[in-house]
Amino acid sequence: MRPSERTGCCGNVNRRMFLADCGMGFTGLVLGAMFERHGIVRAAPPAIWTPPDGKPHFAPKAKSVIWFFMIGGVSHMDTFDPKPALNKYAGKKISETPYRGTLDNPNIKKNLREMVVGLHKVHPEIYPMQVGYRKWGKSGIEVSDWWPNVGECVDDLAIVRSMWTTDNNHGAQLQFHTGRHVLEGHFPSIGSWVHYGLGSLNDNLPQFVVLGEPIASCCGGVGAHGASYLGPRHGGVRLDANPESPLPFASPGVDIYKEEQEQEFTLLNDFNKLAGVEYPNDSTTEARIKSYELAFRMQTAVPEIFRLDQENESIQEMYGLDQKVTEPFGKVCLTARRLVEKGVRFIQVFHGQNNGAGSWDAHSNLKKGHTDLCAQVDKPIAGLLRDLKQRGLLEETLVVLGTEFGRTPGAQGANGRDHHPYGFSVCMAGGGLKGGIAHGATDELGFHAVEHRHYVTDIHATVLKQMGLDPHRLEVPGRKRLEIDFGHPIEAIIA
Amino acid sequence: MSRTRIGVWKICMLALTVCFPMEALAQAIAVETGFGVGLFKEHIRSVFETQCQTCHNSELKQGGLDLSTRALLLRGGDRGPAIVPGDPKSSLLYRLVAQEEEPRMPFKGKKLPDDVIARIADWIRAGAPFDEPSLGTTSTNDKEVSSTGVPRRVVVQTSGDTTGGKSAVEQAHLVLEKQCLMCHGGKWKKNGLDLSTRDALLRGGDSGSAVVLGNAKASLLYKKVSHENEPGMPYKGNKLPEDQIARLAEWINAGAPYDRALALSPSIEASSPDEIKHWAYQSPKRSAVPKVRNVAWVRNPIDAFISADHEKRGLKPLSPAEKNILLRRVYLDLIGLPPSTEQLDAFLADRSKDAYERVVDSLLASPQYGERWGRHWMDVWRYSDWYGFGSEVRFSQRFIWHWRDWIIESLNKDKGYDQMIVEMLAGDELSPTDPKVVRATGFVARNYDKYDRHKWMQDAVDHTAMGFLGITIKCARCHDHKYDPITQEEYYRFRAFFEPYDVRTDRVPGQPDLSKDGLPRVFDAEVGASTYRLKRGDPQNPDTEHSLSPGVPEILSGKGIDIQPVALTLDTFYPDFRHFVRSDLVSQVKTEIDKAEAELAEAQKRVREAQQQMAGVGIEKKVTETSIADGSDPAADSTKPVSPDVKEQKISKVTAEVILAEKRLAAARAALPAIQARIEAEVAKYDAPPNANEETLTLAARKAERQAGLLKAEENLLRAQQQLADAMSLPLADQKAAADKKAADQKTSEEKEKKAGEARKQVEAALAALSQPIEGYTPLGKVYPRSSTGRRLALARWIASKQNPLTARVAINHIWLRHFGRPLVPTVFDFGLNGKPPTHPELLDWLAIELIEKDWSMKTVHRLVVTSNTYRMQSSADEPVGRNLTIDPDNQYLWRMNARRMEAEIVRDSVLFVGGKLDTMMGGPDLDESQGLTSPRRSIYFRHNPELQMEFLKLFDSANPDDCYERNESVTPQQALAMANSRLTLSQARLVARRLSEKAGSDPRSFVGAAFKTVLGRPPSVPERVRGETFLRQQGDMLRNSEKLTKFHAGSPNEVQPAVEPHLRARENLVHVLFNHNEFVTIR
Repeated sequence: MRPSERTGCCGNVNRRMFLADCGMGFTGLVLGAMFERHGIVRAAPPAIWTPPDGKPHFAPKAKSVIWFFMIGGVSHMDTFDPKPALNKYAGKKISETPYRGTLDNPNIKKNLREMVVGLHKVHPEIYPMQVGYRKWGKSGIEVSDWWPNVGECVDDLAIVRSMWTTDNNHGAQLQFHTGRHVLEGHFPSIGSWVHYGLGSLNDNLPQFVVLGEPIASCCGGVGAHGASYLGPRHGGVRLDANPESPLPFASPGVDIYKEEQEQEFTLLNDFNKLAGVEYPNDSTTEARIKSYELAFRMQTAVPEIFRLDQENESIQEMYGLDQKVTEPFGKVCLTARRLVEKGVRFIQVFHGQNNGAGSWDAHSNLKKGHTDLCAQVDKPIAGLLRDLKQRGLLEETLVVLGTEFGRTPGAQGANGRDHHPYGFSVCMAGGGLKGGIAHGATDELGFHAVEHRHYVTDIHATVLKQMGLDPHRLEVPGRKRLEIDFGHPIEAIIA
Repeated sequence: MSRTRIGVWKICMLALTVCFPMEALAQAIAVETGFGVGLFKEHIRSVFETQCQTCHNSELKQGGLDLSTRALLLRGGDRGPAIVPGDPKSSLLYRLVAQEEEPRMPFKGKKLPDDVIARIADWIRAGAPFDEPSLGTTSTNDKEVSSTGVPRRVVVQTSGDTTGGKSAVEQAHLVLEKQCLMCHGGKWKKNGLDLSTRDALLRGGDSGSAVVLGNAKASLLYKKVSHENEPGMPYKGNKLPEDQIARLAEWINAGAPYDRALALSPSIEASSPDEIKHWAYQSPKRSAVPKVRNVAWVRNPIDAFISADHEKRGLKPLSPAEKNILLRRVYLDLIGLPPSTEQLDAFLADRSKDAYERVVDSLLASPQYGERWGRHWMDVWRYSDWYGFGSEVRFSQRFIWHWRDWIIESLNKDKGYDQMIVEMLAGDELSPTDPKVVRATGFVARNYDKYDRHKWMQDAVDHTAMGFLGITIKCARCHDHKYDPITQEEYYRFRAFFEPYDVRTDRVPGQPDLSKDGLPRVFDAEVGASTYRLKRGDPQNPDTEHSLSPGVPEILSGKGIDIQPVALTLDTFYPDFRHFVRSDLVSQVKTEIDKAEAELAEAQKRVREAQQQMAGVGIEKKVTETSIADGSDPAADSTKPVSPDVKEQKISKVTAEVILAEKRLAAARAALPAIQARIEAEVAKYDAPPNANEETLTLAARKAERQAGLLKAEENLLRAQQQLADAMSLPLADQKAAADKKAADQKTSEEKEKKAGEARKQVEAALAALSQPIEGYTPLGKVYPRSSTGRRLALARWIASKQNPLTARVAINHIWLRHFGRPLVPTVFDFGLNGKPPTHPELLDWLAIELIEKDWSMKTVHRLVVTSNTYRMQSSADEPVGRNLTIDPDNQYLWRMNARRMEAEIVRDSVLFVGGKLDTMMGGPDLDESQGLTSPRRSIYFRHNPELQMEFLKLFDSANPDDCYERNESVTPQQALAMANSRLTLSQARLVARRLSEKAGSDPRSFVGAAFKTVLGRPPSVPERVRGETFLRQQGDMLRNSEKLTKFHAGSPNEVQPAVEPHLRARENLVHVLFNHNEFVTIR
């Protein structure tokens, strides 16, 4: 079953007709499984709150999310939001350009919450783009030359160029994932909401997987893939994309038989259930039984996922596994695809951990830093997009490429750019979004998001909508959320 | 990482203080000249009428905005005031018409021409006057207010008309002093706002400027007191009388003049706001133990307090847990190990009334108690082994484990909690000469941070406050505390207690080498260190005009603190002068001589051997070129015949070794008289009365030291030269390898050359020193200040005093949390206004006072807790399940025991204990964390720091070494895998199964029974036993046909191999399953 046919069939049916018209007829492996499990989308919300039943609230467009996060703050002007004015006025003070009004923009103070006042000042002297750019694809969207491969995929991308966030320090990393800055504490991350809202498509794997080294504890740490009050069951499970040891204690060793262990797990399950009778309202017992069920299946399923040598050479090459620079992240991206194929709901991928603010944090030597980092990720990410597309998976997989904030149009020191929360870019692809679209805009200098401004939770809202979830219906009693926590779906990029 | 920028903050502040009066002035000028009114008449009015008032009139009021009058303009619409007079850029109206912000105005219309927008800006800058009579304020001097609504300065300054004999300005001041300064300008500057001076007023608070000079209605202060903005002021108080509000409005309209700095009247200052009445700041009071109906249930006062709450809420306490469950619970709780089957049997058989109490006493007396509760307190006190880069210590301290051992020993001795606090914060000032006490200061030394003194100080302050006092003083680092009555200045006064301290490592007996052992400790290095408030917490921005003295937050101060400097003895300020160090230093030199002698003998032997070879005497030996090159014994290898050249090379090499060894010995021998002479000279120096020979001894020491130094330098030079020569004369036999290594070799030889150069310099320096007049010598070690400030001691005594309202309560809360799995005060490190109140306040206080009155004995509290009926209840929900669960689903009021998961360390230790392998050796250096699955020592002794932790423990939520006031209790699939697949559980299961099989024999039934009892501390139920027996049979049968089975292909074999005999292996499997049982990791 091709995704396009599926959309044609189910795109506009009403909820009641859903199962009768479509669900029964499906034999497609992945989506079929989803419908079988979900049966039907969830009916109107009951009067009394009940926890989610694993069914989407309305017909989903996507079944999985791959959420890339570039740690440290990618320069938007040097990547997905080229600004020729920077080259034209390079070296000039912003106040000496026709865009001097930029500095009076009320958003300078309005959106910003500074932890240390004046820590990040406006850098007045315009720093030119550090790389060339060109139009790509049929859409002719401009992308910098640091992304030649992703550039080629531009007709599948929805680039949101008008993101803003409130904080000018790396606590914004957590904010990108939960909507709240690190000083406000930990709240459920976007992945955990998806996990909480939707049922599993594959019992052998965790539904929320974390690849790559997560952000440092200064900036939110495990909170960025944590579940906070939704409970640890809904948090991301870290897997190490190292085929040698993808999971600690994944194997009992070569002197154990698989059948032997399986019987042990069966016995354990029986014992736990027998003992659990004594403690009927102990949710921990139940959680532990479930954790063993998953653990047992993970032992084989997880190492299997990491067997990248099963992929043929052309695929490996597509992800850059044949080159030293791209190999590490290529492996991560290929693993992400393999997880998606197996029905994992949410895959959070980190790039650029360095035990501090993150590698992308380009206070100095931006050109060298971004050149190297882009080279590490451009081909693998593009490889993933192409591979998903050729397999028909892109349509049902929402890919997000984000970072905590952009970088200043002005120079910091000799050759860097400072943190910049007023305007930056996020790319998305697949999952029922439009391709070849650049939505929103920053001003001529790339300073302020001026057109269709979006706070980071708008990305969350978009993801949840495509997954068939209404964040308001996921709310947990006693856990009040602010309006801004929910965000608004970016309708303009939804197909 | 973000970098701090100097001065930006200053500029901002300057801008704030400067620009407001300027604006006011500009407004005044504009008003006087009538410029603004003219503008309005000529340009603005028509624009308003045609472009704005079509929607923003008194009928439509789009967006809540009506532009008919100036007053309405100032009041604004849904989004706040439409303009800020004098400041177009901050004015919404301007931003919308200039189309800087959405929705652009005119709505859906064409943008106004630029010149029109510019005129609007000018008009706003001029104070935005209308030409209609102002609706004004409730001002009494309306007649004096100009038509623009902005009073003329000139008028105001003469507005000395009096009401009740006081000028209007004075009346406004009185309102401020009586109504506002309590929170904004006295001790407290809530929300950063200080109204006591005009400068401070203009600076404003966290929400921005408090006033728009000359425009009361646009002023935040006015909006707050008139309750136009939320929250209305006075905070949580009644609205002020209208006439007082009017006074304030006049005063603002008059430009907010001050003729003096305002101050709280003493009577007002004395009356306390809410926060001062907060429960945690009051001394605990011992309430009478409540009388309850359920008398039979009450074993001790804890039960009475708990029962009182039960009865108030209609809860029924559950019956006591079964004996085996209770025994396992109390064992794991008090010593962190389960009972052995023998201990279990003995207890089950003991029918005496005090059987349980005797168990409790023996557990509290057991040394394992200190390890169990030591780990708890190590969480709270942030124990961390050192970490850094390579051998460089960047955080915490090497050998900090001495402090860990102090914790365990102190707990085992039941040292008073108060005493422990004093020793940890100020052991060096309390008992300077007693290393057993001084090691306790690891608590303070642990904060060491190689790179950042501020971070170091910050950790010391924040965690002393959170750990002992349960206050989040850390919030006041950048600004006054938002919730608690703690000012920013008080934060830095608290820091002043720590300001002088530094960290050092003293030698310990028997180990002169400080890289092998030593005692990390704190001392006051800089007695006169100043503390400054860091403006906004910025280290680049200290308020150097005011040096702050040590002090504690006033809200807690009680009788205050008494700081007395502590004079230190010679042994303390000059630790290497201590007798044992002197003799250790001498022995160290002697050992070095012995080693040098041995090396020389060895080298000489090699020469003889080489000569024999050369002479062809003895057995024919062949030498490979490589073995010569790398200096290995040529006798070991014999593949090639030896050429004469090679033999000569060999001889010259071993001869060189002898020369070096001789030099080394000479240097080592010279070091002995040198150290001895230095010791004699130092002894003479510190002799009382002064030693007459001091001068002679000084000269002798100097001479001896120089001679030794010269020889040492020569030795170093020779070694470096030889290494250099070796590097240069690499054999070229293997050309390819040589080429491959070329770059590396070049680097090595460069390094060697550098070393040789350094060695040459040393010789030159030593030679030069010889020709200098003889003056001094190197002391035996570092000499530190001869006194300590006594600051930390004073702080510690204040924290540990009976009067401190927080200390005992915080301790009780931590203890309670660890007995019941839930604290009495849910926010364990925050007892302040933002924390949560205790669930059982009277019980908390009663226990706090009990702790204090029983000389802070923690064992007394443990005993009281674990012998209570509250503690003995079962954790399941049986008979009154429906009712209790409905009333109190979260068991806040303890109608049953809470079941908990074992902490990480207890999981690991219990597996080893049940396996019979646990090594109960106590204390000593931290163990390599990577050995955790094979070493049988208790988990507390393994390295644990933010970088290195045992993975197994980490998966079970072990403590974050930087901050862990309460552990997490997660359930994850990774934990399941750690239990199922780790070599630890597999090997221990095998050992247990074999041990039990010896006793149980071939009977599967008795084996299942024994396995349950050994691993879970209880017999199996009938279905469990039947299921277990079935498993043994089936699993045994399956394993017998092992050729049909598939092995795992990953991982390494275990050191304890599975049994060969299938049925024994099945038994191992069963025990392994029980280790994985939910009940194993659960404390019921």
